[in-house]
Amino acid sequence: MNNIGTGDAHAGGVPAIRVVIVDDHAIFRSGLKADLDDRVTVVGEAGTVEQAIAVIAQTRPQVVLLDVHLPGGLGGGGREVISGSAALLASTRFLALSVSDAAEDVVSVIRAGARGYVTKSISGAEITDAVLRVAGGDAVFSPRLAGFVLDAFGTAPADIADDELDRLSARELEVMRLIARGYSYKEVAKELFISIKTVETHVSAVLRKLQLSSRHELTKWAAERRLL
Amino acid sequence: MTTALSRPPLVRSSDRMIAGVCAGLAAHLGWPVRMVRIGMVVAAFAGGAGLAFYAWLWIMVPTADENAKRNARRPASPIAPAVSAPGPLPVPPGFIAGPAPAAGLAEPVSRPADGRDGLADVGQPLPAGSGTSQGTAPTNPAWFRFRRMPFAKEILLGAGLLLAGGILTARMLGVDVPLGTLIPAAAILGGAAIAWMQLDETRRAGLVDKTKADQAGGWARLAAGLALVVAGVLVMVSGSGSWEQTWLALLASVAVLGGVALVLLPWGLKFWRDLEAERAGRVRATERAEIAAHLHDSVLQTLALIQRRAGNEHDVVRLARAQERELRGWLYRDPGKEAGQLSERIKAAAAEVEDSLGNAVDVVTVGDTAMTERHEALVQASREAMVNASRHGGCTVSVYLEVADGGVEVFVKDRGPGFDPQSVPADRMGVRESIVGRMKRHGGSAVISSSADGTEVRLRLPSDAADNGEGKS
Repeated sequence: MNNIGTGDAHAGGVPAIRVVIVDDHAIFRSGLKADLDDRVTVVGEAGTVEQAIAVIAQTRPQVVLLDVHLPGGLGGGGREVISGSAALLASTRFLALSVSDAAEDVVSVIRAGARGYVTKSISGAEITDAVLRVAGGDAVFSPRLAGFVLDAFGTAPADIADDELDRLSARELEVMRLIARGYSYKEVAKELFISIKTVETHVSAVLRKLQLSSRHELTKWAAERRLL
Repeated sequence: MTTALSRPPLVRSSDRMIAGVCAGLAAHLGWPVRMVRIGMVVAAFAGGAGLAFYAWLWIMVPTADENAKRNARRPASPIAPAVSAPGPLPVPPGFIAGPAPAAGLAEPVSRPADGRDGLADVGQPLPAGSGTSQGTAPTNPAWFRFRRMPFAKEILLGAGLLLAGGILTARMLGVDVPLGTLIPAAAILGGAAIAWMQLDETRRAGLVDKTKADQAGGWARLAAGLALVVAGVLVMVSGSGSWEQTWLALLASVAVLGGVALVLLPWGLKFWRDLEAERAGRVRATERAEIAAHLHDSVLQTLALIQRRAGNEHDVVRLARAQERELRGWLYRDPGKEAGQLSERIKAAAAEVEDSLGNAVDVVTVGDTAMTERHEALVQASREAMVNASRHGGCTVSVYLEVADGGVEVFVKDRGPGFDPQSVPADRMGVRESIVGRMKRHGGSAVISSSADGTEVRLRLPSDAADNGEGKS
């Protein structure tokens, strides 16, 4: 999972990003806290859905690192935390962090409003980069999430007749393919001769489609998929 | 019923005119179907012998479907499939259909200790269909005794037929046989037999398993049997009585039956529910035992290994990765998906490389297809590329498989120091032969691009139909 790019422009005098970590395993939370570098500060932690909603409302972090599977609430896990914090969605961004890469989990939390998804096995530096990217308003796609998107939307480019939300454009497809192949945003930009900003725009557009598309195949597809 | 073993089993064929008896018989005996059919018709005119024989076979011989189902549960029995008795095996008390159902699912799962009745379905995890239905049999001792004797059904039927024949002969010889009593008695016996018949092995499942749609037939059969028995009893009891009396008797018997049902219903329901609860509990216990066994064999063993090797970071990471992969496969694997798919093979190759070289290999797949010989070559080439990437790149390897209409593409990327593909010594077979050459031989292509930021191997295998060069990139 090393697509999230390495060098980032945010270092230096920029104030640290305020982050809340939501995960039901205390060991994982403390490990992650130790892994994150000083470009972010952890302002709160939570282990259940109720705690998470309370802590997020209280601390108003910029980014929430959110586990997909959480105890408590109505059993909805991370999805429920996002919908419970809907009022803050304008200022707080959610980055899904999961050990499960079952498609239905990932897609459901993205559709609830998360700005990206990374697996728990990636390094602290990579998670930090992902947090910064999400805080900056961009989307974070792991190779696997890009693979899910390609699987769900199909690998053929959009026809004009299709609803704009239901298909990916040829460029978006190219970007998704490169991310699925393990390219970082920087490498994608280099490969396609476009700027990193443009790559980020494409990825955000795909995220929007993933969240808003009413394409019934998408939901059906996510429900059917129990495999990796 | 002493069938030669070399013959195909006697089953009712699906290629049928009435019930598939003739076709089945023809297949069994190796005679032409037409001849068997003509013979049957001719025999039918000989005092109805053909009809009787046909009806007998219809009743006694299972359809091909039923037979297949039965054989799936019971490994090849030397006895003709028509004989549903458990064969000459001594049947321990409590075992109804012999030990066969368990044989197909020999699992290393320790059975729960409370499986005292030794039901064969204890070892069966999920399908609550066929096997589980055996659980109801202990409530049915008559059935059970009936089953214990091999060929019981055949002997019984033969005895009945002999009796009927004897009576007919006796009448012809002028002996006075009380037909007025015998016919109702025969009706009762026949009705009971029909009702019992539906407890025939395959239908028992349908009767017990509520999800089966086969119930209508079962109920019709039961109703027919009941009607026959009731009619027989009535005729017997009322003798040559008037309609009035018969009507009254019918009413009275219905009332009595209703009363009995009313009294027994709550008890019966309770019994049924207990049975269901017990069965569900047993299924749960089995599942838990299976999960425990799996965790013990995999996760606990790995954790023990990790504790012993705590000093060696490389080993610990490798063990953890391998265990994660195994557990993930076990938890999320799609049981409906067969194993011979391309994505599975690529993942298996990645797992192998990961295990042998220690660097993580992440696989992302889009689409899937069944394996062919050409795909086998693609998998081999991909594996070689992964080995190179892991060995020379020295860090995480990304693998991406995309199956589209035009063909299959595999990308293997690492972030190692890179190399110049042109400068690879001629004696190094890895890249030249195993990747590029192999892909070319199977009508595909391999492109290797390497820079200081890493190396990517792109393998492309067009589908047989469309050989349209490049898709993208």
